[in-house]
Amino acid sequence: MADQALAALQDRIRAAAAAMQPLVICGGGTKTFYGEACVGERVETTTVAGIVAYAPNELVITARGGTLLAEIELAMAEHQQYLAFEPPRFAAGGTLGGAIATGLSGPRRPYAGAARDFVLGLRIVDGTGEALTFGGRVMKNVAGFDVSRLQTGALGTLGVITEVSLKCLPQSKAEATVVQACAVDESIRRVNVWGGKPLPLSATCYWNGRLWVRLSGAESAVSAAMQSIGGDRIEHAQEFWESVRDHAHPFFVAAQREDKALWRLSVKSTAPHADLEGEQLIEWGGALRWLVTAKDADRAPIRVWAKSSGGHATLFRGGNRSGVFTPLDATIATLHKRLKATFDPHGIVNRGRLYADF
Amino acid sequence: MSTIVERSGRPEPEAVDDIVRMLTRDYGERAVVNRAIREQHAHGEGMADSGLPDVVVLPHSNVEVAAIVRQCHVARIPVIAFGVGTSLEGHVAAVYGGVCVDLTQMNRLLEVNAEDLDCRVQAGVTREQLNADLKGTGLFFPIDPGANATIGGMTSTRASGTNAVRYGTMRENVLGLTVVTADGSIVRTGGRARKSSAGYDLTRLFIGSEGTLGIITEIQLRLYGIPEAISAAVCQFPDLKSAVDTVIIAMQVGIPVARIELLDDVQMDACIRYSKLDKYEAKPTLFFEFHGTDAAVREQAESMQSIAAEHGGSAFEWATKPEERSRLWKARHNAYYAALALSPGRQAFATDACVPISRLTECVLATRADVEASGLTAPIVGHVGDGNFHLVVLFNPNDPLEREKAESLAQKVSMRAIAMGGTCTGEHGIGMHKLDALVAEHGNAVELMKTLKRALDPRNILNPGKTVPLANS
Repeated sequence: MADQALAALQDRIRAAAAAMQPLVICGGGTKTFYGEACVGERVETTTVAGIVAYAPNELVITARGGTLLAEIELAMAEHQQYLAFEPPRFAAGGTLGGAIATGLSGPRRPYAGAARDFVLGLRIVDGTGEALTFGGRVMKNVAGFDVSRLQTGALGTLGVITEVSLKCLPQSKAEATVVQACAVDESIRRVNVWGGKPLPLSATCYWNGRLWVRLSGAESAVSAAMQSIGGDRIEHAQEFWESVRDHAHPFFVAAQREDKALWRLSVKSTAPHADLEGEQLIEWGGALRWLVTAKDADRAPIRVWAKSSGGHATLFRGGNRSGVFTPLDATIATLHKRLKATFDPHGIVNRGRLYADF
Repeated sequence: MSTIVERSGRPEPEAVDDIVRMLTRDYGERAVVNRAIREQHAHGEGMADSGLPDVVVLPHSNVEVAAIVRQCHVARIPVIAFGVGTSLEGHVAAVYGGVCVDLTQMNRLLEVNAEDLDCRVQAGVTREQLNADLKGTGLFFPIDPGANATIGGMTSTRASGTNAVRYGTMRENVLGLTVVTADGSIVRTGGRARKSSAGYDLTRLFIGSEGTLGIITEIQLRLYGIPEAISAAVCQFPDLKSAVDTVIIAMQVGIPVARIELLDDVQMDACIRYSKLDKYEAKPTLFFEFHGTDAAVREQAESMQSIAAEHGGSAFEWATKPEERSRLWKARHNAYYAALALSPGRQAFATDACVPISRLTECVLATRADVEASGLTAPIVGHVGDGNFHLVVLFNPNDPLEREKAESLAQKVSMRAIAMGGTCTGEHGIGMHKLDALVAEHGNAVELMKTLKRALDPRNILNPGKTVPLANS
């Protein structure tokens, strides 16, 4: 029973809070490589699972945090709906709570929205064991502070996500992927020009001299867009985009070698190609640059480039798991610590997973 | 009835005198104590509760806002951010007096990055000014609450408008902020990048915090290319259910309609009279707008028309020329004034709620019955694709009984929406009028929001008494 499981989770956190025992929150354990290394007793969240409500005509699904993403995607697919932020599935067993806690989004993100844009509301158990509800199950809610969005991407440091309501979208009627050969600077120019036009773009990927572009929408819009941007249509496009989304693409597989590190550079989409050491793959209309470096490559030039390009750099996978996120300036860091103390006054849930000192 | 709430003994009068003296010294004519000006800054639109600030100050820069807030922090004086005063739930009333920071002189468009589809504005820029300034760039900013509000106010209240189904709300369209925090620090959140910051999403936390966690002074906004083709249409229905069902089907099949607005028969009657929409009848009506390429717009409109026809909708009445379209949408945006004209001499306030779309028909009909039982006039308009609707309640401000009925009607709408699994507000916010409804909706989470407020504003100086009022305010 999910409610008993929830009560047990609350008890566990209450006891840990009383004992000042740090806890490491673990869903499917498919994204443990992400974030800072953190220590504590492991708490499984997969017991708090199950779809609570799914009304396809409302375009809303509500499920417990420990529900498998695969289960949710399957239920939605039966009604020709899907999670349009395309949460990455780095391995089987990923949970909804984990997807929202990491806040990661896939190839469709610049065109459909990010994980946080689809979160309508959620429930958490905070660091004192209290169960709390924020937001709701309707499309718009401006009642009180937007804590649902604050929780998205907080890596479980502000409580354990036990239930999430998400906006669903109907699948596109038509989808097509074209590929063009071009130089990297030209690819960045093209995707930005297209981004300002009423084209049904739904993903872009540049790697190894080729630019893949996915179009999704009404049949006529997709075929008109194919004409207008040009390139060769490819078969099995779904496999290609899933490999990019789930890091099963050869670029990402190579990045997972023991002696390598994978960087995620989130920048303004028009930033010129980064002259940094290592291979790159570019997504999100130019706004996301993946970079594979040697495991212990100098971090400074990478961070400097990302900052000067209007964004920030994260050591996504591999390398030394300390200082993986862009350091916060002093005032922002103070706000973070105050928020952490608000949700987790004893500092026990996923302490240090985001930044070492809170 | 406009009750001016005077300061209730807090803060100390000497402290207020000191701050007024300091601000007058530092800002000269930009620090105003004239009563008429202060009264203009004592309230927004809607139910006419108000609270008189002790002084209105008009800063020109982030640094000036920070200096003002720092002085208030030291002296523990309330500080209330003010745009053009179009909020609807008493958000800007200075219920404990203090300093009103009027941001309308911070009205510069700081930068437009056409290639990146973004811009940065000061908080006092209004949405109409922004779109006028963007002329010639081929870009526009889509969010359009009824009033010509400031971008700062729209961000602080997490505003949305008629095209949220297609373009989202302020929440999805703000990339980053400059905020002055309670102790007078200037912080920048987010930035130019899409996934814009490391750490917690502070941008989203400040959006919609109603001036209680910080004063927003600059906003980085996402912009959109002006669509190649736009067309608008009107369709009338025999009853409300048919209109709502049409929308439910359209959303489910994923027609990317830019705008779908519902006007009930009472509102349609008001609009016909006020905006001279002679060719229409006083029936439940949907206003549509389609954006895209020529082909896409034609295709969307055809699909929509066939769904509407299956539900008994009339043939679409088209408005494709820009002037016809703007006349139509002007009529929609003037719904509030049209409602007022139904009953000259009465005042109006708008309340809003949002329910699961499958409950919308039932919710609107039950609300209609409440209105009839109350004997008041209250037309209904809705951003129907979101399940969000507004009730414009007309009441005589000099009749306490009528005012009470109006308030009780608004209360019923909130509580019904919550009982139906919705929210007491999808657009307008909490301010000071929906505090009870917030508790009914969020329960113990409100306590956590209070803790959060204390953490970010330990002296409770930022717009005290709003959103999540603290006991000591």
